[in-house]
Amino acid sequence: MSESGRAWVYGDGINTDLLAPAAYLKGSMEELAAHCLQDLDPDFARSVKEGDVFVAGDNLGIGSSREQAPQALQMLGIRTVLAKSFGRIFYRNALNLGMPALVCADTDRIRSGDRLRVDATAGVVENLTSGETLACESLPPHLVEMVADGGLIPHLKKKLAGGR
Amino acid sequence: MAGKTLYDKLWDAHEVRRNDDGTSILYIDRHLLHEVTSAQAFEGLELAERKPWRIDANLAVSDHNVPTTDRRGGIRDPISRLQVDTLDANCDKHHIVQFKMNDRRQGIVHVIGPEQGATLPGMTVVCGDSHTSTHGAFACLAHGIGTSEVEHVLATQCLLQKKSKNMRIVVNGRLGKGVSPKDLILGIIGRIGTAGGTGYAIEYAGDAITALSMEGRMTVCNMSVEAGARAGIIAVDDKTIDYVKGRPFAPTGEMWDRAVAAWRGLVSDADAVFDHEVVFDAESIVPHVTWGTSPEMVIGVDARIPDPREEEDPFRREGMERALAYMGLEAGTPMSDVKVDKIFIGSCTNGRLEDLRAAADIVRGRRIADNIKLAMVVPGSGVVKQQAEEEGIHEAFIEAGFEWREPGCSMCLGMNDDRLEPGERCASTSNRNFEGRQGHLSRTHLVGPAMAAACAVAGHFVDVREW
Ligand code: SF4
Repeated sequence: MSESGRAWVYGDGINTDLLAPAAYLKGSMEELAAHCLQDLDPDFARSVKEGDVFVAGDNLGIGSSREQAPQALQMLGIRTVLAKSFGRIFYRNALNLGMPALVCADTDRIRSGDRLRVDATAGVVENLTSGETLACESLPPHLVEMVADGGLIPHLKKKLAGGR
Repeated sequence: MAGKTLYDKLWDAHEVRRNDDGTSILYIDRHLLHEVTSAQAFEGLELAERKPWRIDANLAVSDHNVPTTDRRGGIRDPISRLQVDTLDANCDKHHIVQFKMNDRRQGIVHVIGPEQGATLPGMTVVCGDSHTSTHGAFACLAHGIGTSEVEHVLATQCLLQKKSKNMRIVVNGRLGKGVSPKDLILGIIGRIGTAGGTGYAIEYAGDAITALSMEGRMTVCNMSVEAGARAGIIAVDDKTIDYVKGRPFAPTGEMWDRAVAAWRGLVSDADAVFDHEVVFDAESIVPHVTWGTSPEMVIGVDARIPDPREEEDPFRREGMERALAYMGLEAGTPMSDVKVDKIFIGSCTNGRLEDLRAAADIVRGRRIADNIKLAMVVPGSGVVKQQAEEEGIHEAFIEAGFEWREPGCSMCLGMNDDRLEPGERCASTSNRNFEGRQGHLSRTHLVGPAMAAACAVAGHFVDVREW
């Protein structure tokens, strides 16, 4: 997690229908991802790059339980999501997919395009553009481990294989 | 020691093990499946060469993709068909009970669970669908899960969870004439906000809740997730037990008597302590309409669309401005001046018999307005549809100019052919008014069934209390 990525900053209440529009839930993940956030920022899906960071205000991912919402972000290259608060199922789904979701009270201080380096274990967001360091809630060790294993299912498999 | 809340009791009864990190392994009694969030889970199971752990805990149905028009020709959209066929194949393979598309019992997963008695008091109920909170009306601990968790539950019948805090929402008094359970929950969300329930399991209590039918209680619990809560629950009383009695999946004979005796204890202890409590006065609740792109952006139908300039918080102000622009509305406009294009009556929030009755009572002997391009009623299940037809409710709708459709999710989220065109405005009895929810650039206003019906007749929002 020491690579830096570009920040994509959005406001409050970015919901699962925006992230994974229902009309595309039926098609391939690629197609769905291509329409991620289309009603809010059509540029996002086209321009986001591997390793970028998704930043939002309150209630990121409120709405449906569709795991495709964090999956679309992940498929587009987003590696970390930061928000002031999360919709519960989205939060869990992101971690279950092995994508760190971090609560950060100061996402207002991040501008779109800033370069961020996020350390999920330490709970630190370095803004390389502004030079600021922001605190975020660190993930508890069991979740760090799950994320490092690549998500819930790979994690459980590893545990089972390990005889636990 | 203080007594236990209903949520505490449900939790304790299902906690298999508490881990050092504060999470718990929770046993799951009932797992409901639909076609959108289950395919990858079955695939994962297969890759790991596992089988579902307890077949009879599962009940499956296709609801999101099914057409609501003539079904005899099957599903035309190839991708919708693939999703439905995949669920069929997975259920056949693992011998999971499923109501297929042309089964009379098919319907929206959250309608059929209770209808069939598959949802029973005291259960833990999960489904890869956020509106699983609906089942909390039966004193169940019920919540939505993601696809990875669907796989987890299939494989182990358990779930890793962290316990929520306890919140109680007490609604005293009595709802006024023409005020529906939908208005009550919209009013609650309007006040506590879409994050008001975050981190909590909400128990609804008070005279106004007790007075609700089971259908009404389901409407309230359904939208708990829109308030950010993990689950909404309501204590067991005679209505709960009367509703469950005699349903196909409900226990019978001696098992029934034993079950009822146990279910009677599914109430919060008198001395239970809640982490947070909010009190409402039912008389203050009016018919509600959402004006924006989040369920908390809601006002009384007799009010004017709020002005962002009066909002002090800059973030909220910006959110309001964005919502008004998306919805094509101007601040200060009386809600009753807003005209609509389409009407949708249905969904897991308001697609039950009582909802259809309330709407039919309004349209009976009237016609939909000329500016309404489409008004549709989509019953929540085949059983609801049949009951409604036995009562002649469908005729009231058809004579008024409504389309009377086959059961499914339909325009609640527009995964099948039922959706809004860009810019179209809909009075909808569903639960989400997010941008694009009912189709690309769709504009959704959430209302109760009687309000939607009155809106169809008037062509614009109207106060149904005056009808
Ligand atoms: S009716 Fe709407 S909210 Fe309910 S399960 Fe179907 S899509 Fe989800």
